[in-house]
Parts: sequence; structure tokens; C-alpha cells
Amino acid sequence: MKSNALRLIIPVVLTCMAAAAGLSATYTITAPLIAAQDKAAEEAALKSVLPEADAFEAVDAAMLASAQEAVGDSKVSAIYRALDGNGELIGWGLKVGSRGYGGYVDMVWGLDRDGKVTDLTILTMNETPGLGTRIKTEPGFLEQYRGLPGGFTEKDVKKLDMISGATKSSRAVRNSGIAVSVVYEAVLKAAGEVR
Amino acid sequence: MKEWLRVFRAGLSIDNPLTVLMIGLCATLAVSSQVEGSLFMGIAVIFVLVMSNALISVLRKLIPSQVRIPIFIVIIASFVTVVDLFLKAFFPPIYAVLGIWIPLIVVNCIILGRAEAFAYHNKVWLSVADGLGMGVGFSLVLVGLAFIREFFGAGKIELLGATILKMPTGYAPPTILMMFPGAFILFGFVVAFVRWLNERSTDRKVA
Repeated sequence: MKSNALRLIIPVVLTCMAAAAGLSATYTITAPLIAAQDKAAEEAALKSVLPEADAFEAVDAAMLASAQEAVGDSKVSAIYRALDGNGELIGWGLKVGSRGYGGYVDMVWGLDRDGKVTDLTILTMNETPGLGTRIKTEPGFLEQYRGLPGGFTEKDVKKLDMISGATKSSRAVRNSGIAVSVVYEAVLKAAGEVR
Repeated sequence: MKEWLRVFRAGLSIDNPLTVLMIGLCATLAVSSQVEGSLFMGIAVIFVLVMSNALISVLRKLIPSQVRIPIFIVIIASFVTVVDLFLKAFFPPIYAVLGIWIPLIVVNCIILGRAEAFAYHNKVWLSVADGLGMGVGFSLVLVGLAFIREFFGAGKIELLGATILKMPTGYAPPTILMMFPGAFILFGFVVAFVRWLNERSTDRKVA
């Protein structure tokens, strides 16, 4: 009986060990490449939402932590100060993740010096292709967030349209917008960074 | 060699996973709304299917039948994760298209089904033939279905960022084709057509 159980257990354990070894090898090879690509994608997204900026400077960890605390549910993973050629502050870039249908939808938002939304873009998402991904492809959907004036509130964001059939995905964008308004109000303004 | 070809061709025609065995339908109905996604999904499935079939066939005498399913799942899931990481690292644009569907290859029943029904009982080279045949058979039907759905349902075919085929302007695409009910109805017609083809060819052989 004992030997019979072992006869079954050993192949399973060996298979799992071999699989784990193979996967960790693959991970070791690909992880730096994936991280570099994520970084490049993030930089490209920041450039696209704040085309006038020359450099982006991450805010300190304490500020980021207080932003996260103010926002609550969404994930504020990075805040950048956008600087022009002379090192003058011209706006902010925010990387915010909100829960959609298939995990977090990571977005990058650009705010100008007055807190107006210059542009926004979706960095990564795992929404259902053809349904949830319409938050990216539907003409006019992301555009309606563009140009929200400085100091916009949750109420302003909730007035904007959602996409029927992609409610949870649209809600991720909406919550992302709300998070941005909260960060602007509670952190950037409070820190005296706003003109 | 003859047997190898026979096994390979069975996957394309008389044992086609989609139109005859009717397995792996959930992923098919979901992905087949775009030609681009279908193409890469097909390639990923072919890779995983061939690799898992080969490995399971090599190990078939060492795997006790009572615990074969957990072992199959671990092997398949590992290959899928490898594909996932490699696509993410080396082909990010393709990964962006496929996104959520790659991890779902794990639960694509074609792969577990072929491991169980074929690779566990057959020699390695035949299992590779089966994996290739089944994978190519799956991809052909998938891309064909996607072509019809995208061309008639969206009015154009897009591949790698370029529009390669476009309906004349003024064509109002029926959105039902892009949705699951339309996919089901269309798939029914495709199944009927392929069965008719298969029956015709077997009739001819008998006569």
C-alpha cells in the first residue's frame, strides 16, 4: 500500500519540480526584457499625453503614498512632474490602475499646470477582446475625458458616457478619472504645486 | 511515413478538432472575431499542442494512469506560461493583440483531449504528427471563421495595423456576426459544410 502511494506521488512531484525549474529559467530570461518594455511603453505613454514635456521626474515616495491613501480603491503607481526644456514645471503625468473586467486597467493621464486633462491613454489591460477593449477603440469614448477643466470632480466624470455592453470596462476608466481628480485635489494642490 | 501523413491529415479533415470532434469551441467563438488574433492564437496553439503531445508521449510509460490528468495539466500549463512570457518579452505587439487569450490555452480542451486520447497511447513521432495536424486543423477553421466574421461583420480585414481588405463604402455590417450568437450560427454552417465535404470524400473512396 505504501509503495503504491509512493509510485503515484513521485511522478507528480518530479513533474512539478521539472516544470518549476523550466518556468523559473524562462522567467529569468524574459523578466528584464519585459520590465524594459514596460518602462519604454510607460515613457511613450507619458510623452503622448504631455507632448510638450522634455523630461519626467518621479515624485518622492511619501507623496506617492499619500496619493494612494487619498484614492483608496484604485492604484496610483506613479506620479511624474513634467518639466519643459528649462526645467520649469508644466504639468503632471499620473499612472493609475483601476479594476475592470479582467483585472486592472492601467492608464496614463496627463494634467497641465492648471490641472486640465491634456490627454489620457490606456497602457495595459486584459479586457475581453472586441467587448471590453472598446474602451480603447470606441471613437469618442476616451476623447470625452480630454479637456476636463482643472479641479474637475467625481460629479463631472460621472456625467460622461459609458459604453453599453462594456460597463465594467468603462467603469475602470471612470474610476481612473475620479482617482486623478482626487490626487489633484488632495495631493498636488495640498502640496502647493498648483499655480 | 505513410502513417505519419495519415495521422497528420486526420487532424485537418476527418478528425478536425473543431468541426468534427467539437472541442475547444469556447476559445474559438471568442477569438474568431478578428483575423489577426486568430492567426496568432493558431500559432500559439500549434506550438503548445506539439510540445505537450511530444513530451507526454515521451513520458507515457513513466506516468501512472491514476495521476495522468494532473501531470498533463502541469505540463500543458508550463508550456502555455512559457509562450506567454516569450511573447511578452520578444513580441509585445502580438501580445497586445492576444492578451487574455494566451493563458486560456491551458483550458483549451483540444490540448488536454489530444494528450489523453492520442499522445498517452502512441509513439512520439505519431504524437507530433497528431499535434501538428490538430493544431493546423484548428487554425485553418479558426482563421476561416474569423475571416468571414470580420469581413462581413466589421466590413474590413485588418492585419498588423494595415487594412488589407475592405467592403465598398455604404455596406452596413450586421453586428450580430461579431457577437457570440452570430458566431454560433455561422459555426453551425461551417460544421455542416465540412461534414458534407468529408462524407463526399469517403463515399468516393468506398465506391
